Formats: sequence, C-alpha cells, structure tokens
Amino acid sequence: MARVGIERRPLRLADIALTVWIGILSVVTVYGALTTTGFLTVSNMKAILTAASFVGIIAVGLTVIVLSGNLFSLALGQTAAISAMVFLYSLRWGLAVGILLTLLLGLAIGTVQGFAVGAWGANPIIVTIGAAGLIEGMAVWLSHGESIVPPSDETSWEHLANPLFGLPVPVYVFIVVTIILAVVMRRTRFGRQIYLLGENRVAARAAALPITLLTVGAFGIASLYTAGAGVLIGATSANASLLLTGSYTYDAIAAALVGGNAVTGGRGSIARTAAGAIFIATISDMLLLRGYSTGGQILVRGIIVVVVVVLTNLRERNR
Amino acid sequence: MSTVETTRRRPRAGELAPYAILAIMIVALALVPVVTQYTVRTANVYDIFQNFASYGLVALALGVTIIAGEFDLSVSSMYLLGGMVAVLTGAGSPLVGIAAALGTAILVGLVQGGLIARFRLNSMPVTLGGYLVVLGITYILGHNKSVMYDNFTVGLRLDKPVLQVFSIRSLASLGIFVVAALVLRYLRVGRDIRAIGGDRRAARVAGVSVDRLLVSVFIVSALGAALAGALLSYSLATASPTNIGFDVLTFSATAALIGGVSLSGGKGSAVGIAAGVLSLSVLQEILAILRSPDYVSSLITGGLLVVVTIVWAPDLSQWFRTTRVAASAEERT
Repeated sequence: MARVGIERRPLRLADIALTVWIGILSVVTVYGALTTTGFLTVSNMKAILTAASFVGIIAVGLTVIVLSGNLFSLALGQTAAISAMVFLYSLRWGLAVGILLTLLLGLAIGTVQGFAVGAWGANPIIVTIGAAGLIEGMAVWLSHGESIVPPSDETSWEHLANPLFGLPVPVYVFIVVTIILAVVMRRTRFGRQIYLLGENRVAARAAALPITLLTVGAFGIASLYTAGAGVLIGATSANASLLLTGSYTYDAIAAALVGGNAVTGGRGSIARTAAGAIFIATISDMLLLRGYSTGGQILVRGIIVVVVVVLTNLRERNR
Repeated sequence: MSTVETTRRRPRAGELAPYAILAIMIVALALVPVVTQYTVRTANVYDIFQNFASYGLVALALGVTIIAGEFDLSVSSMYLLGGMVAVLTGAGSPLVGIAAALGTAILVGLVQGGLIARFRLNSMPVTLGGYLVVLGITYILGHNKSVMYDNFTVGLRLDKPVLQVFSIRSLASLGIFVVAALVLRYLRVGRDIRAIGGDRRAARVAGVSVDRLLVSVFIVSALGAALAGALLSYSLATASPTNIGFDVLTFSATAALIGGVSLSGGKGSAVGIAAGVLSLSVLQEILAILRSPDYVSSLITGGLLVVVTIVWAPDLSQWFRTTRVAASAEERT
C-alpha cells in the first residue's frame, strides 16, 4: 500500500502496546541495574560490552538475511565454532593467513547455503538446520573430536584477546563492522535491493533484481561476519571445540528480533540489531549476577523473543 | 488445486519415492554381511523399531505441522520437557507421569498455536521463542541436571521384546501412526489440514475453521513430541535438559521430508512419514553395525536434509530450465 506524504496517523493499539512494553523493559532494566550488586561497575560494563560484541557481530551479519526476507539462519553457532577451530589451527602459518583462511571459509559456507536458498527457493530454515548438522560432522571428523589449541611458538593472536586503550579488541571490531554494514545497507545499491527483496519478493522479481546474487550476498555476509566473530572467540578462549557453539545462534536471532526488525523482512536496520545485542547482553549479565540459573536465562530470552515477535508483527500490520 | 480426490488415480513417481528409499535402505541392510562378516539378526530389527519408537512420533508431529503449512521448531525442547515432566511426576505411577507430560504439551501447543492463529504470525519465530521458553522450563524443573527415574521396572517393561522384534514402546508408536494415517486419509479433519497447508485463503473461503485447526495442529505437535520424550525417559530411566541442539529436530525433519511431506504445505501422509522414519532408523542401524563414529551419522543426516530440501525446493526445476535455455542460447551465439 502506497502512503503518499507524511501524515499523522491516529495512535493505534499496537503503538500503545509497544510503548508500554519498552517502558516495562526500561523500568525493569533500570531497577535491576540499581539493585544488582556489582552491576554498575566499570569492569562489569566491560564484560557486558565484550559479551555483546561477540553476539553483536554475528547478529548484525544475520540482519542482512532477516532484511532480505529469508527469516534467519540456524547454523550460526556451528559456523562460529568451526571458524574458531580453523583459526586456531591455521595460526601455524601466521596470523594473517589464519584470519584470511577463516574468513574465506566462512564466506564459502554462507555462499553455498545462500545459493540453495536463492537460486532454487529452498527453505532457509531447513537448509541451515542441515548445514548445522554437516558443519558439526565435519568439525568432529577433521579434529578427531579433540579441541584445537594454538601452536605454542605463535603468540601474535594474543593481541586479539588483549585490551586496547582499556577495552577488549572485539568491542572495537564490533563497532567498526557494524558501521561498515550499516553504511552498505543504507548507501549502496546492494543494500537497497536487499530491502526491496525483503519488502516485496514479487516486485523484486518483476523488477528483475538479481535475487540469487542478493540471497548469496545476504548469507555470505552473515557467515563472513560469523567467521569473524569465530576468530575473536577462538583468540579469547585459546581453545576451540564444538562446545563454543553455545547459544550464539539463539542469542543472535534474539538480538535481531528484539531490535524490532520485521521477521518477514524489508523493515529494520543494522543499528537496531546492534542495540538488541547490547540489550540481550545486559539482561544476560544481570540475570547471571543475580544468580539466575541457565534455565532462567534461557526462559527470559524466550519470553522476550515471543513478546517482541507479536508486537513487531502488530505494528507492521498497521502501517 | 483439488483436495478431494473422488476418482482413483495412479500414484505419481514422486509419491512412491519414500517407499523406494526405504526399500534401498533395507537392501543395504541385507548387504551388510557381504561387506563385513556380520550376520543381521532379529535383534537388529528390534533396534530399528526401538529407534522408530524414540523419534517416530516427533517426526509425525513435525510432519503434521508442515502439512498444515507451518513449522514447529519447539518439538526438540518439548521432547526434553515431556521426559522431564514424566520423570518428575511419575514416581508413583508412570501413567500419571505421562498424563502430566501430555497436559503440559496441550498447554504449550495452545499458547503457540493460539498466538500464531490469532495474530497470523509466522510460526518459525514464534516456535523459536517457544523452543527457548520450553527449554528454559526443562532446565529449571531439572535444576540444570539430569534427573534419575527410580522406577526401573517401568523402562524394562516398556522395552521388553514382544514377538521378538517389537516392544510395548514401539508398538505404541506404530499404533499411533496407524490412527494418524486413518485420520489424515479418511476423516474430514485430515482433508482440512491439507487444505489449510495447500491454499489457506481458499480453505477459509470454503468454510474450514482455519484458526481452530491451526491451534489443534500445534497441540498435536507438542503432544507427539512430549509422548515420545516421556516414553524415552522411562526407557532410559533418566531425563535431561542438556541434550540441546537440533539432533531430534534434524532427524524428524529429515524423516518427514524423505517421507514425502512437502515444505510448501498441503502434501504428505502418515504412512509416508513412517517410511521416512524407518528409512533413517535402518540407516542408523547400518551405521551402528559398521561401528561408524557419531559424526558419520551427523554428516549423513545433515547432508540428506539439505538434499531433500533442495529436491523439494519450488524453483529448482525452473532453475534447470532457465540455465539450460541460457546455455543453449550461449552455444548459438
């Protein structure tokens, strides 16, 4: 539906619900911040930023898939884990080779998935579930089920884990790659075409947009960013196995959804996801400090995801 | 698209694929002695049906949601929650435990299906959130640990061989499959489920109560996962929240898709899904006989899932056509 000009529209239930939700979240967060011992400290803020940067790098990459209307990828955690393993292994040929090789691998993994989805219309969720299984199998096969440690004579990677001007390196990487991707999505033809593809697939097809190429690009970027996060995760833990898969897949999806990106694509932004990642990291940190168990943390994340999905959908429908 | 088939017609090749795959798997199992010195025994057939009992109902549950044009990502954690609830509440009587697990499933299905139907939401993100909520509850109930089920005799009784190759557990799963097959094939509700999966708008216009049916589909899906999980937990005498990952989901999605369920909705049968589950169960047994490491199974299942998804992909045939046209055009110039 074309809306010509900017007119004031009447306040709708969805807007009110959204405002109330944001209000509740803010109050709870501020209350938690003030009453949780050890939350409002410099070291804890650094911990939140570091946690947010791992999830955030993956999540902003994932956002391109979300915006392109291909829902999300369920292979992100596995991609991050195998990237960390490949990075630590290939350090024996030097830091630059290690990083480059890992990023190329990530790009390749994403490109293959994106091709199946874009060229053949394969279901993105199922393709990425299958890809996750394949990556897990490959990782165990190639590593013989052992965890990978960096070679003892090579220490250059430690810079990636050490603080720089008081903040860990991943935080800077998160900021830089977020800005780059935000500019790409807003200012380049690729970015605008991704938005159009997600907004209206039929129109994109009619306008002869290169749908295959765009989808390959979306999955490629998501996987490339995830591999980049894998490099940093590997450097930080200095020991990589499939255990690193952790909850990155769900955390990244939660960050993209909590930021308010439309699940169906076309509406949203990279900045929203970055904010969502920081929010998720803040909540997780607060729950951890307050002594909530793993279960409590997963439960809270799940509830937030469901509520946000319902609310953003209501708002999108009223546009 | 016609959903009511009054005239008998010859099945198309695609509809026979699930049974062809099953036949190939059985031949492969029969050929195992040629490769190794192992002779296939009735114990192997028993194992196959036990595997069917552990995963079959989850595949059926997921398959029904796919036929209805939806997808339930939460089955993998509902499977764990079903086991956890059954073990925690079934200390006195296993039937009470199963009833509690099924009650929990109805609640989960009601909430997820209700949200999806009421707000016309995409089921993927909703059930992803549902997956997390259900997993979180499983962790909380188990205090982040595995919980033992002290009533060992229940598991022994459930798994005691019946007619050498079956057990009460596998017979229960097979029985539910028979009921599901009859319902999907002959009752109006089965036709309606295919209708809302094939063309929802047309189904609505034709007077199908789409919303109520959607809620029921998600309840059925949660029930299948919870029952399979509860029976497995009794069999293992333990319930655990930590079996995370998409193992159950990968297996059941692959089984359903091999079984001829179309991801675009509207197509599929319980008999086909059963064939898909049996195919994968036979495959697992072959890998077990050959003593293959776990990653082989994970590679094969993941690979199969990607392949069947691509085979089912709507634009695949068109892609081949256009590239062939493009290639021949290139040749001409």
